[in-house]
Amino acid sequence: MHYLLYFWLFLKASLVSTGGSGNLPSLHDDLVPRHWATNREFAESLTIGQISPGPTGLWVISLGYLTAGVPGSLLALIAISIPPLLAIVVQRIYRRIESHPSAEGFIQGLALSVCGIFIVILTLLLRSTGLNVKSVAIAATAFALAATKRIPIPAILTAAAIAGIFL
Amino acid sequence: MRLGVQSFGGGMATLALIRRAIVDDHRWISPEDFARYWALVLMVPGINLLGLIILVGNKIGGAKGVCLALFGLLFPSVTITILLTAAYAKVEHAHLIVSALSGVIPATVGIGIFTGGQIAWPVLKDSWKRGLSPAIVAGSLFIGSGIAEGFSHHLPVVVILLSCAVLGALSRLPLISQRADVN
Repeated sequence: MHYLLYFWLFLKASLVSTGGSGNLPSLHDDLVPRHWATNREFAESLTIGQISPGPTGLWVISLGYLTAGVPGSLLALIAISIPPLLAIVVQRIYRRIESHPSAEGFIQGLALSVCGIFIVILTLLLRSTGLNVKSVAIAATAFALAATKRIPIPAILTAAAIAGIFL
Repeated sequence: MRLGVQSFGGGMATLALIRRAIVDDHRWISPEDFARYWALVLMVPGINLLGLIILVGNKIGGAKGVCLALFGLLFPSVTITILLTAAYAKVEHAHLIVSALSGVIPATVGIGIFTGGQIAWPVLKDSWKRGLSPAIVAGSLFIGSGIAEGFSHHLPVVVILLSCAVLGALSRLPLISQRADVN
């Protein structure tokens, strides 16, 4: 594995993302064809990111560990820490662009496509880790439970683990 | 500062925790500033929470504040994430874990699809308020990007993302003249 390229792929993914899991499409696109990560590792690290404390965006730390051990997770950490530093730069130029509607349109177009691609990739992840009545039923139930916004995510995941063992 | 930041390094509802700590408890920044910072970091690439904590750190202590704030937020949660992953990697082939995962992975997918829709929803609603054609533009960017990803195996994702962003920006350009008329 080429660490410099590995780092660049993580940095690039984070640069074209908004929000914590927005780097998923780009990472998936770059790592899977190179056989540096599997669909299963993506699914697993997303799950660990949901469980562990802090921003869910830290799922890439987990992906780094699963694909390249501790060096991988440290490279992922540096890669996700750099783009948010742009906040200071953006804050300085913000007054000049905030009144321009196309600046907002740019961000909205980016956000919409991240979400659209995100949903498609998640569906592909489900297909590659085993698509059957049970997994679809669990996914649909988890979706419905998340949509109520009253049940904490860890509770849903715990229930799903129990369902996985007993069903 | 460091202690304060470290104390809220954990927890799922991190944004709410951070707001309480820096606005309500320590009064480091005003509620208005907090809201402005949050809107700003939504436009910055990467994890929004990190951007927020960087702005707060910069305001309180300059470059030193930024480093301390980042360290305080990341050190505990990154350590725990690595330990959790390492623990998982040790036990991932145990029978019990495999069957539990057969439930947890689909659940993560279900939750993730909901979250994706939840993030896109305000943007779609905002365009709908602006009129029919902005709503159609937004809807087709959302669905079109998904279709482009699902059916084209040679198109790099970055190309889809950036072209959607540029299309979004272009779709707003005629609005400049309309807004000028209103004013």
